[in-house]
Amino acid sequence: MRMPPFELHTPDSLDGALSLAGDLQQSNREFDWVAGGTDLLPNYKWHLNSKPHVISLASVPELSELSETHIGAMVRLQDLADSEAVHPLIAKVSSMIASVMIRRSGTVGGNICLDTRCFWFNQSEEWRESIEWCYKCDCGTGADCRVIPNQNTQCVATYQADLAPVLMCLGATIHLAGPSQRRSMPLTEFFELDGITRNALAPGELVTHLTLPDDVSEWRGDYQKLRQRETWDFPEAGVAVLWKSRSDGSPSDLRVATTGLESIPGFHSAEAIATLTSWNGGSSVDELAEAVRKAVKPVLNTWYPPSYRRKMVKVLTKRASSGLLEV
Amino acid sequence: MSEDKNRVEGYRQQSGKLPFSRPGSGGSRKTSEPRDEDKIASIRGNGGHKHDDVVTGSAVGRPTALIDGRWKVTGQAQYGDDVRLPGELVGRIVRSKHHYARVLSIDVSAAIKLPGVVAVATGQDASGRFGVLPVTKDEHAMAQEKVRHVGDLIACVAAIDEATAREAVRLVEVEYEELEAVHDMRQGLEDSEEPIHDRGKYHIGASNVQKRVFQEFGDIEGMSANAVVSHNSNWLFAGANHGFTEPHAVVANWDPSGRLTLYTPQQVPHYVHRALADVLDIPMHQINVHRTFVGGGFGGKSDPFPHEMCAAILSRKTGSPVRINFDREEVFWVNRGRHPSRIGMNLHADSKGRLCGIETDALIDGGAFASFGHVTTYYNGVLHTAPYEIGAFHYTGARVWTNKPASGAMRGHGAVNSRCAVEVGMDDIAEQLNVDPITLRLANLLPPHSATITGFRVTSIGMRECLERVRQASGWDDKFRKLPDGHGIGIGCGFFISGSGLPIHWEPNKFPHATVHLKIDMDGGVTVHTGAAEIGQGSDTVIAQSVAEVLGLPLDMIRIRSRETDTSPVDLGSYSSRVTFMNANAAISAAMEIRQELLEAAAAATDVPVERLVIGDRRIYRKDDPAIGVSYLEALHKAQEDKGALVSSGAYRTPPMGRVHKGAGAGIAPAYSFSAYIAEVKVDIETGQTKVLKVWAAHDCGKALNPLSVKGQIIGSCHMGLGQVLSEEMKYGRNGHLINPDLLDYKIPTIHEMPEIVPIIVESNDSEGPFGAKEAGEGPLLPILPAVCNAVYDAIGIRTSELPITPDRVHRMVEARCKQEGVAPLDLSSPELHHSELQGVLEARASEHASRDAARTTDSAPSDYNNGALFGFDPEIPADEQDERWVVSVTPSSDYMESPRLAGSAWKHTERRHGGDS
Repeated sequence: MRMPPFELHTPDSLDGALSLAGDLQQSNREFDWVAGGTDLLPNYKWHLNSKPHVISLASVPELSELSETHIGAMVRLQDLADSEAVHPLIAKVSSMIASVMIRRSGTVGGNICLDTRCFWFNQSEEWRESIEWCYKCDCGTGADCRVIPNQNTQCVATYQADLAPVLMCLGATIHLAGPSQRRSMPLTEFFELDGITRNALAPGELVTHLTLPDDVSEWRGDYQKLRQRETWDFPEAGVAVLWKSRSDGSPSDLRVATTGLESIPGFHSAEAIATLTSWNGGSSVDELAEAVRKAVKPVLNTWYPPSYRRKMVKVLTKRASSGLLEV
Repeated sequence: MSEDKNRVEGYRQQSGKLPFSRPGSGGSRKTSEPRDEDKIASIRGNGGHKHDDVVTGSAVGRPTALIDGRWKVTGQAQYGDDVRLPGELVGRIVRSKHHYARVLSIDVSAAIKLPGVVAVATGQDASGRFGVLPVTKDEHAMAQEKVRHVGDLIACVAAIDEATAREAVRLVEVEYEELEAVHDMRQGLEDSEEPIHDRGKYHIGASNVQKRVFQEFGDIEGMSANAVVSHNSNWLFAGANHGFTEPHAVVANWDPSGRLTLYTPQQVPHYVHRALADVLDIPMHQINVHRTFVGGGFGGKSDPFPHEMCAAILSRKTGSPVRINFDREEVFWVNRGRHPSRIGMNLHADSKGRLCGIETDALIDGGAFASFGHVTTYYNGVLHTAPYEIGAFHYTGARVWTNKPASGAMRGHGAVNSRCAVEVGMDDIAEQLNVDPITLRLANLLPPHSATITGFRVTSIGMRECLERVRQASGWDDKFRKLPDGHGIGIGCGFFISGSGLPIHWEPNKFPHATVHLKIDMDGGVTVHTGAAEIGQGSDTVIAQSVAEVLGLPLDMIRIRSRETDTSPVDLGSYSSRVTFMNANAAISAAMEIRQELLEAAAAATDVPVERLVIGDRRIYRKDDPAIGVSYLEALHKAQEDKGALVSSGAYRTPPMGRVHKGAGAGIAPAYSFSAYIAEVKVDIETGQTKVLKVWAAHDCGKALNPLSVKGQIIGSCHMGLGQVLSEEMKYGRNGHLINPDLLDYKIPTIHEMPEIVPIIVESNDSEGPFGAKEAGEGPLLPILPAVCNAVYDAIGIRTSELPITPDRVHRMVEARCKQEGVAPLDLSSPELHHSELQGVLEARASEHASRDAARTTDSAPSDYNNGALFGFDPEIPADEQDERWVVSVTPSSDYMESPRLAGSAWKHTERRHGGDS
């Protein structure tokens, strides 16, 4: 496997990176950002939507700050896993991502912005040619979606990153910067339901950091991940359940989010609120699990069949909620 | 059968044609004492001179680091991709985009015009046919007329660098006419308008059946009648790939002297040597196959490959060395992995707890080419005629071509899937009889020095000891059916050939299986020429150990030259677990010849008769007065006085064995290995995830010449087998595409999935094995699959019949059972065991048989024992000669054809030569 040739830019400041991006944009030259490279470079080797220019953020110092309420986009996943400053569940989730070698290179921003995956898409160029290409990487052929044929409107490739659900539940805000503006939004609003668009990033924009509200330490909860092997594999399903407790142990607030099931992570506020308002202990957890199962619609494009992944969402939700029932 | 008991039965009956001595006898001791391996000193001590710290005179039986290990760990070993020749070009292959298509035209004009492209070759450049088995040569270097799977070779290009070569591949325009592809192996049994291959008059109907086998032995009619319990299952096994570390890589150099050197990580250089001569149409003597270090083979590098031909063709065209390196995806296109299989397995047991019949029906998916498939088709049946004594054996097997990458030989060749089915069947039979599954096995074992129902000669058998030792080590009696819900323990056994009795390319009486040459010059070091292929399994080391042992020399005085066909004697290479048995025996023969010369020289120098001399640590001395003697070098130089360097040649061939029915040669081997594993698992009943916690693995390798590498083989086999049982699967999407040709989605277990393995070496001391040894490379893989399946049953009461047991599959079965019983998963009960009266009967028989086996092991001339004695027949005569109900048949009766089983239905077709339409 060989990557197609591209020009690598290595700016040494955020401003430098953004002005470089602006220049490339103005001259209509396409580019990708690269942080840890663990997602982008394998895709480049497969010739997946590669660009002639790549801007590396490796030498940009401003993006690596890490505290309880501030996580820079260039923080390495392993550093996050080892950190005592961040919420323990963030550290735990980070430690479950891929393998230690990938975590030492991969970054928080890269994980949040992970490209969606599909077994019709994540293949070599020759392989994709043998299925006459796919919608997400059609090489100008106008190819149909191979997962759900005859629906050439939306890509259903699956979002398989672990960090988003727990960060959404903790109320994270994501901060973006582009050549002309900086902006912020709740992480729950960052994602856009399409396997190609994926998120709100405008051309030339990048993620600078995430911030967490001051009450972050009051949240408790768990994240459950379904995968074939205990390392390396992407989540086939992931469920984060977080809550704040009253003194009697019952939840005063509850949030649920999922990943690995659709083109974006799911934030299940309606299901969580319904459970909270009618809280009744164990049976409420069962109802919540069933509601989350109904809320997700996986398709056949990852290792496990979608029916199994959907059923497992129920089991994972129950397991992630088990702390709710400990008094 | 013959009335003359002394007549030599078998494929080879020419008496007097056995000039080779059978060296390497296990010696006068018939049994090995159990030993504490941890107490044995390692080969290297501390300090001292490089040579002096090596204990000599006993090179075998000690844990020994592989002699090429340092080359690897220091990065100096040259694998296929490390070979760099001056001026070399990079070759790439143009591959088919279609499952099955006629190639109408290939336009290479744009590619050849690309700057940096030196040559393009197509099927027109080499029309010669090849294949690993002479009877089924169905491969070409590149497509002649049709492409048969996505990834099949169409053309190849050579360019100055990889980027240019890849670009040139894109520029080759191919026009196809798509043909209707066959993806389902069941469809391959049917007639087709355009069969994937045409075998001329040998073609079976108009179907895609490549090979079919029918075998009936024993009391077939009584099989069901005598049965009190039966196990019936229909298995589906996914295809598996070897998953070796090193993708294929080859360099071909047509050198200035007009000879071709091919550098390739091959398990069998000799077959490539032959195939190259066929395809390139040049004599073999103009070709030198240079085996590089091999980064893992497991059977996946034992065929001659089309890309090897392509490199040679491009090198001939360009006059430059050409290198072709594979991407991982290409490894999956060339495949030769485990056959996807549908196996119907029926086991029957009678009221005495005897196995009155095994019925197996195996349909195996060969993919687009024959490869080793002819043999695989037999192995799926005949390799489970032992270790149990059986009343009847009914086997129907068929291998079909489909439009997938070709299946072939993979560690445990042909035996793994059907063995899993048999052992899971044994567990079920024990359950139905309410007896302990280990006791059931112990009461039904063939004794040492016996013949199986199909006539395999089985010499040493350590099966009983394997079973007893894992039972004890694992604490089986306190755990089986007694562990808490979700936890389980299971047993599985294995039986495998220790070297195929039939060489593929010649009659065994016309040429030996293995030949080894030795040369010792003035320096005293021993150069060993052998064609045994070191593929990481320790081939070089075991041969060096054998020579060192015979000559009383330290290991580092032995240097192995096994790389090039120019210098090494013709050898069958590393497959069928033959190297230790055959090459070490040949090496011992060669070394014994030189040992004799040294003894005679020492006798001349010391005036002590040869019979009173012994060889010790680089010294030859009088055994009753060690002060009298000469050094090894003195003896050597004396022996060299008149002729210079000492040279010798040793060879090994198998003794005559086996019966004479069609297919009798498949599965015969000079010895067989045995193994028994116990696995303990935890199953998450809600998710279906299986975690293997610990494995106790006993393997009978005859004698562990290098216990370190035997243990390594056991642990490595467990890892590989666990992959097949837990997660490894070549998945084909709805339109027949292989959807996981990469190591992220082809799920090889990681270190996290690896349980603790307790390797237990059992030494049955084979009378013909080198120093008593048998194989340890493939057999150890077999038992782990059924052990895990049976442990899952013990844990959650789910009897799987589909591999791998991925969580979604287990969950589906849990759901089905929950629905049936109307309970939630967490409320499912796990199975219980309450011994029936038969348990006592079996225990008594097992104990009686243990004494019988012990007596036969120590008896210097044990009487004949044929399968059938357990059913009341005279053990000295094959049962089919005593009772006409015991049949021997290799063609189906018309009765059978009225309702054939799945693979058996392959016999509904008539071979074209018998059908009248030429």
